[in-house]
Amino acid sequence: MSITEKILCSKSHEYLLEEDGHYVIGLTDYAVEQLGDIVFVELPEVGSEYAKGETFATIESVKAASEIYMPVSGKIIEVNDTIADAPETLNEDCYEKGWLVKIEKTGDESELADLLEYEDYKEELE
Amino acid sequence: MVKKTYLAEKHVALGAKMVDFAGWYMPVQYTSIIEEHKNVRNNIGLFDVSHMGEVFVVGDDAEEFLNKIVPQNISKLTDGKAVYCQLPNLKGGLIDDLIIYKLKTNTYLVICNASRVDEDINWMSINQRGYNVSIDNQSHNLSLLAVQGPKAIDLMHKLGYTDDQDSFTIVEGKLLNIPMYISRTGYTGEDGFELLVINEYVEHLWDKLLEEGKEFGIMPIGLGARDTLRLEAALPLYGNDLDEDTTPIEAGLSWSIPKDKVEDYNGKKYITEQIENGAPKKLIGLKMLDKSIARHEYEVYYNNEKVGTVTSGGVSPILNCNIAMAYVKNIKEICAGTIVQVMIREKLHDAEVVKRPFVQKRNKVVRR
Repeated sequence: MSITEKILCSKSHEYLLEEDGHYVIGLTDYAVEQLGDIVFVELPEVGSEYAKGETFATIESVKAASEIYMPVSGKIIEVNDTIADAPETLNEDCYEKGWLVKIEKTGDESELADLLEYEDYKEELE
Repeated sequence: MVKKTYLAEKHVALGAKMVDFAGWYMPVQYTSIIEEHKNVRNNIGLFDVSHMGEVFVVGDDAEEFLNKIVPQNISKLTDGKAVYCQLPNLKGGLIDDLIIYKLKTNTYLVICNASRVDEDINWMSINQRGYNVSIDNQSHNLSLLAVQGPKAIDLMHKLGYTDDQDSFTIVEGKLLNIPMYISRTGYTGEDGFELLVINEYVEHLWDKLLEEGKEFGIMPIGLGARDTLRLEAALPLYGNDLDEDTTPIEAGLSWSIPKDKVEDYNGKKYITEQIENGAPKKLIGLKMLDKSIARHEYEVYYNNEKVGTVTSGGVSPILNCNIAMAYVKNIKEICAGTIVQVMIREKLHDAEVVKRPFVQKRNKVVRR
């Protein structure tokens, strides 16, 4: 199963991937493509908590700064240090290597209701 | 309705990401802004800048009229010479910045920013009374391509160009049998040419330049890299760094203003007053000391006090750091080497005041 078959996407272009009891959050390939060259990523502190819809990271492309929102409420348990040092990793591979954070979900299942499967998300874009 | 240049379909076919810029449907990038940027610095880049305005100022009083509306000395222009100018209002604030070419006696070509053509024409019309001059906006009939970079001259030679003109000059000529104006100017800090043709020829010219330029590594370049290139060269962008509340002295453009111009011009009183006594604000260059990026309108602090605002900021692909231009209070404590702070997402980030341009400009070409 390819990774895009396992993710849920938000309308603001974050993805959520369940992995061994926790969740990985990143940016969809569509978002990365739209941003262009990514040159700086500001990630949150491990241990900090955010509600669904809150800004938890900022990504700077050559063109502009973009805020990244939590697709679900959660507590940050790991951040991807690779992309802090090499932000271009996001342009190269936003799923396997260029994920942003791993979280422990703190909200209930109803928070997943407005997230879309990848195929539906792609369709919404057209 | 958004306007399209004659090349819009070609940009889309080349895979460009298109945006609305000053009411025009324009390519912001084809591949990557950083890659395009570096290609202009190292090889050659082709820009569609047909959104720019072209206004012909013609008549017995053309010289006198232009002397009235810009601080520069138009009388010193010889045939074929160009000068970087500003268009001040009565208080010395800038309606636009311009390049004026003297084509021949009583005939001048004025290049305006796309976003300001209407204001410029309006201002010129207001000032026209009493002068025997016609103001002929030909923007809709003309297309403009910029060929920029160290190898631009090689491509021009390959296409039969032999004039080898100085920078800041214009000649009327032919390339690929297409009649055009060829000027040795640009907005990148590199040597290069701008080719002005009637719309009907531009598609053919664009295709041929890309085809013949292949051996020199030519790439089409979008507005994204045009912005990073001009920022590295510290060339002001109207709307970011220049506006109607900012004088050319504040904008660091004193070098372009002759101190000995006898003729009166719009805003002269305010501009000369600032030349003599100093201006309340000044433009500075900043180099960020961490990886953060200062953007347009971010606040600048010095000794915990807000002293100014960033007007342009971004990445320098050549210096591999982030740079910005900002207006700050004109105090002597803020000078090259001073550390100031930029407020970025509610945190202060250190930046060093540095000399402009950020990279060495290589656009000056003078024939021996």
